[in-house]
Amino acid sequence: MLISDAPRRAPLLEFKDVDTYYGELHVLKRVNYRVDEGDIVCLLGGNASGKSTTMKTILGLVRPRSGTVSYAGEVINTLPTAQRVRRGIAPVPEARRLFPRMTVRENLEMGAFTRIDKAEIAADLERVFGLFPRIRERLDQIAGTLSGGEQQMVAMARALMARPRLLCMDEPSMGLSPHFVDQVFEIIQTINRQGTSIFMVEQNANMALSIANYGYVLQTGEVVISGEAGSLRDNEMVQQAYLGEMKAREAC
Amino acid sequence: MVAASLDRPRRTLAAWRERVRTPAGRRIALAAITAAAFAFPLIDRNDGDVDAAANALAFAILALGLNIVVGFAGLLDLGYAAFFAIGAYTYGILASYQVQPEWSSFWEPLQWLGLVARLPGAGGPDHVHFTVSFWLMLPVSALVAAFFGILFGAPTLRLKGDYLAIVTLGFGEIVPIVARNTPSLTNGAAGLNGVAPPNLFGYAFGVESLPYYYLGLTLLVFLIFVSVRLRDSRIGRAWMAIREDEIAAEAMGINRSRLKLLAFAVGAAFAGMTGTFYVAKLQTATPEMFSFPVSVMVLVMVVLGGMGSVAGVVLGALILQLLQSWFLQDLSQWIHALGRGTGIAFLEQIELVQSIELIFGIILVVMMLYRREGLVPAQRTVTVLSHAEQTAVPARGGISGEFALAARRSVDPATPLLEVKGLRKAYGGIKALQDLDMVVMPGSIVAVIGPNGSGKTTLFNLITGMVRPDAGTVRLAGEDITALAPHLIVERGIARTFQNLRLFANMTVTDNVLVGTHARTATGLLGAVIRSPRVRREEEAARKRAAGVLAIFGNRLLPRVAHLARTLSYANRRRLEIARALVSQPALLLLDEPTAGMNPTETLELTDQIRSLRERGITILLIEHKLNVVNEIADTVIVLDHGEKIAEGRPEEVHRNEEVLRAYLGRTAARAAP
Amino acid sequence: MTIWDILLQQIINGVSLGAMYALLALGFTMVYGIIELINFAHFNVFMVGSFVGLWVLQAMGIVGQGHPLYGLALIGVLLTALVVTMLITGVIGVAIERIALRPMRNVPGTAAMITTIGVSYILFNFILLGAGADSKNYANPLPSVHWEIGEAVLRLREVLVWAVAFGLMLGLNFFVRRTKMGKAMQATAQDQEAASMMGVDVDRVVVIAFFLGSALAGAAGLIFGLYYNYTSFIIGYTAGLRAFTAAVLGGIGNIPGAMLGGILIGLIESLGGQFLAVRWTDVIIFSILVLVLVFRPAGILGRAAPSRS
Repeated sequence: MLISDAPRRAPLLEFKDVDTYYGELHVLKRVNYRVDEGDIVCLLGGNASGKSTTMKTILGLVRPRSGTVSYAGEVINTLPTAQRVRRGIAPVPEARRLFPRMTVRENLEMGAFTRIDKAEIAADLERVFGLFPRIRERLDQIAGTLSGGEQQMVAMARALMARPRLLCMDEPSMGLSPHFVDQVFEIIQTINRQGTSIFMVEQNANMALSIANYGYVLQTGEVVISGEAGSLRDNEMVQQAYLGEMKAREAC
Repeated sequence: MVAASLDRPRRTLAAWRERVRTPAGRRIALAAITAAAFAFPLIDRNDGDVDAAANALAFAILALGLNIVVGFAGLLDLGYAAFFAIGAYTYGILASYQVQPEWSSFWEPLQWLGLVARLPGAGGPDHVHFTVSFWLMLPVSALVAAFFGILFGAPTLRLKGDYLAIVTLGFGEIVPIVARNTPSLTNGAAGLNGVAPPNLFGYAFGVESLPYYYLGLTLLVFLIFVSVRLRDSRIGRAWMAIREDEIAAEAMGINRSRLKLLAFAVGAAFAGMTGTFYVAKLQTATPEMFSFPVSVMVLVMVVLGGMGSVAGVVLGALILQLLQSWFLQDLSQWIHALGRGTGIAFLEQIELVQSIELIFGIILVVMMLYRREGLVPAQRTVTVLSHAEQTAVPARGGISGEFALAARRSVDPATPLLEVKGLRKAYGGIKALQDLDMVVMPGSIVAVIGPNGSGKTTLFNLITGMVRPDAGTVRLAGEDITALAPHLIVERGIARTFQNLRLFANMTVTDNVLVGTHARTATGLLGAVIRSPRVRREEEAARKRAAGVLAIFGNRLLPRVAHLARTLSYANRRRLEIARALVSQPALLLLDEPTAGMNPTETLELTDQIRSLRERGITILLIEHKLNVVNEIADTVIVLDHGEKIAEGRPEEVHRNEEVLRAYLGRTAARAAP
Repeated sequence: MTIWDILLQQIINGVSLGAMYALLALGFTMVYGIIELINFAHFNVFMVGSFVGLWVLQAMGIVGQGHPLYGLALIGVLLTALVVTMLITGVIGVAIERIALRPMRNVPGTAAMITTIGVSYILFNFILLGAGADSKNYANPLPSVHWEIGEAVLRLREVLVWAVAFGLMLGLNFFVRRTKMGKAMQATAQDQEAASMMGVDVDRVVVIAFFLGSALAGAAGLIFGLYYNYTSFIIGYTAGLRAFTAAVLGGIGNIPGAMLGGILIGLIESLGGQFLAVRWTDVIIFSILVLVLVFRPAGILGRAAPSRS
């Protein structure tokens, strides 16, 4: 169901009628998403709605059974993950997934793994320090010893080290104290203003919609509502979709 | 509709196999094979051939024993030959001149029993000569080996597959080394000699192979019988459940430790008996006979034949043994001839007999890469369903039929069935549950909801004993069950399903449900083998209960009872898990997201079925994300967020609760977005 | 000889043995750290490596121990033999991975480990059938130089073992900790999925781990032959047990652990052999293995036991 529809440019990322399965389980059912350059797009939904699978499909950890995933005009259904990173897609995984026994610096270096331009990498490191000033102090600390919020900062910084065009964030607010959640969402906006497009999967609909341009609501693998973020905010139907009522259809 | 899906295989081999698969066909084939086996030495009178065949029979028994440990219970034992050695040396020492303590009056009653003889000493004191009867030692060495099986198995109970294998390898190596280095007992590397052959009512076995062949064959037939009986029993199913999913097995009432030790013990007993037989036949025992390569060889037999398949491992053993003794010599000759004929010098020099271990290695690699299930797979093939059986009409209206779920104990409707007080659990720094209090009254349906990570599954794990709480108590009908082992909690009357489905994938639908009856049945090892009328009655009753529970779901599961669980659709797997939990006749049923992955129609069908279960006296605690389901059937809803209970009440009340909305949809930003 | 001399001698021996075991354990533990696979074949790659080293030395004209070389010639010959042996065994390791182990990567349970037992048997029997069961006298260009410390003797071959083993271990350490690919290996060992999300090609990382591990095993094989002046088809089994225990003792999957474990096992073997009886050494080592796995599976330095059951 579309709330509003403005004319669109060529998308950076697009899902067209994508079906994804986990073995037998039909997780994504003919979903359609679109992220334009410069957008912040959020994917909302309750538990087990297919949000994480969407993220894995974008990154190439899961392949769609049908439909197309295209990035910058290229169909990337079968493109290996490493190639996607080289083309400019960088992930901030759910629960951070830092390399626990490596230092913060080494984690950041891993973010730039696919790049070879040393000078530019150094420049990006400085840029990252600008966004996350506390990281500079913690460069040699073992990543596993950081707090949840600090890890989230490092995870975002690590993704930025790939100098991505599209940043994919999987539940950035999960497990964070309110203070860090505010910080994280502010930084997301700053990153976006600096030119990176953002596709964000989030459970916290209110926070996500407060910074996004566009939103999709997933429920058991189907997109049930989509539209400009403004029209989704405080929308009764979004609440209902979250709380599962829109799917109550009578059986035959 | 025409049953167009039933294809008649045209190839004669497949057709022949089909005919053999019928019960009558099976019996005829078995009779033919047994007759041939007994007739064999009378047809082939070459003593060398019979001798080789007798050795092959011994290894077939070893393969059967390892099959119980590896194939049934899924425990990789790389040191199996240790038990072979223990059985061999136990008989060997007690039936040879190796150990000769000085004579004293202590030995007189044993002499009277025929267990020892008195040897006159040449110019010194008299000595004891052990003359324990072979027939007595067969069961005794089985017991001794079983004891060591438990001893070696006990440290491995908590270890995962790889590590377990290494520890067993360690024990498997220590035994022959000890044998080599205690020459007083074992005559070290030179080997025990003068081991007395068996003596049957005055007939001494001597050096001819024929009596050993028949003895070995009898033992093999007997132990095949025991293996099959075990496989098709409550014990066998419990072993296979452990192999498939240990945690689910424990959650269905199986005492993991006890059953693993039992598998080790029974497997060791088989090997112990074989050791006694083998050493009596060879009349000697050296440590080399029980080294690591022997353990590997038995493993190769099991892998080749088919892990878990009784017929398969016997076949694998016979193939490999007879390959070595009968065929390789001849094959080498042919290859030499071929080499001479073609002028390839390399071929003339190949000695296949020496290369047997190379062949073993190749077999292992090839089988693992291309046919892991072995020559004779343990799982039977699936019969094709008719069209009518394939389509199932979803039914509304809950469950019908005489499915009786009498609760195990009469429940006082006024006291809470489940009472949770102050339950706390933290993982590292993360507080999964914080001081949770909860009450579930009998006959009600309580739903637990909350966003991701709110502690719902942790709650289930704590109630069912899979995880110990840091603080707090869990009471079932007044009895404190906090931190009881999961299988004991099943006995007390709580059963559960799992969020991520933990079925026994390679077991049939029926067997999956039958595992659920484990806590309500009592057949043990002996009962499984003997199958007395009481045991048969218990099995029948369990099967009836299983069929009754499966019938709850109409014809969704019933046509598929012989199918392996992994072939079921996702929704059917969820139903199977529920059936498996129900069959243990729980007073309290814990369902963890039972409708996950089901479409709206299936969801409504299951919702009605859950409601009907409540009407039959089962109390239900439910984790659900689909709030329409919750609204439909829950009497009480408890909302968790970050491990705390933030709301409790009737569904309509909770629905409108501000805090609940916020928990799901998230806080609004502290500052307005620019 | 006083007790101190004996002790010193056994410590010298123990450290030499330990260095060899550490080198062998390193490759094994590195692979385990990344794909959680117990690779039995590793120890017969070591055995094959010692034969390869022998043949390389023979190809260079060295025969037996009768013609020692000195100075640059010695170093040149040893270096060449080392490099060539390591390359060949590295390639063998990669071949094993590609053919027998990669298809098993996602199979749950112990199937992959069983496959490595099969591969191990194949290697073992190839050499046995091809080269015979007798032990081979090693082609050894080392002169019999030695130094005396009190009444203990330090031979040139001991110094050789230490130099090669510690040199290679330091090299590996440097590689893993300082180079980009090395860090990719660390990352893959710590979180395979996250590593691939960073663009790491996990298959390539595994191949490199196998290459390096097998090359180290080959080096260990070569120095075994030079140290003991012989090689035979059975050495994979005997040294393998010790190296395996060393890896487990130090903490399986843990590189410094393998080094520590190796030295400890070497010392236990030499001191144990001196003060107890040699024939019980195997039992002692097996017992250590069993005890560590049962009571402290993480080893001395290691992290928690693996996730796969």
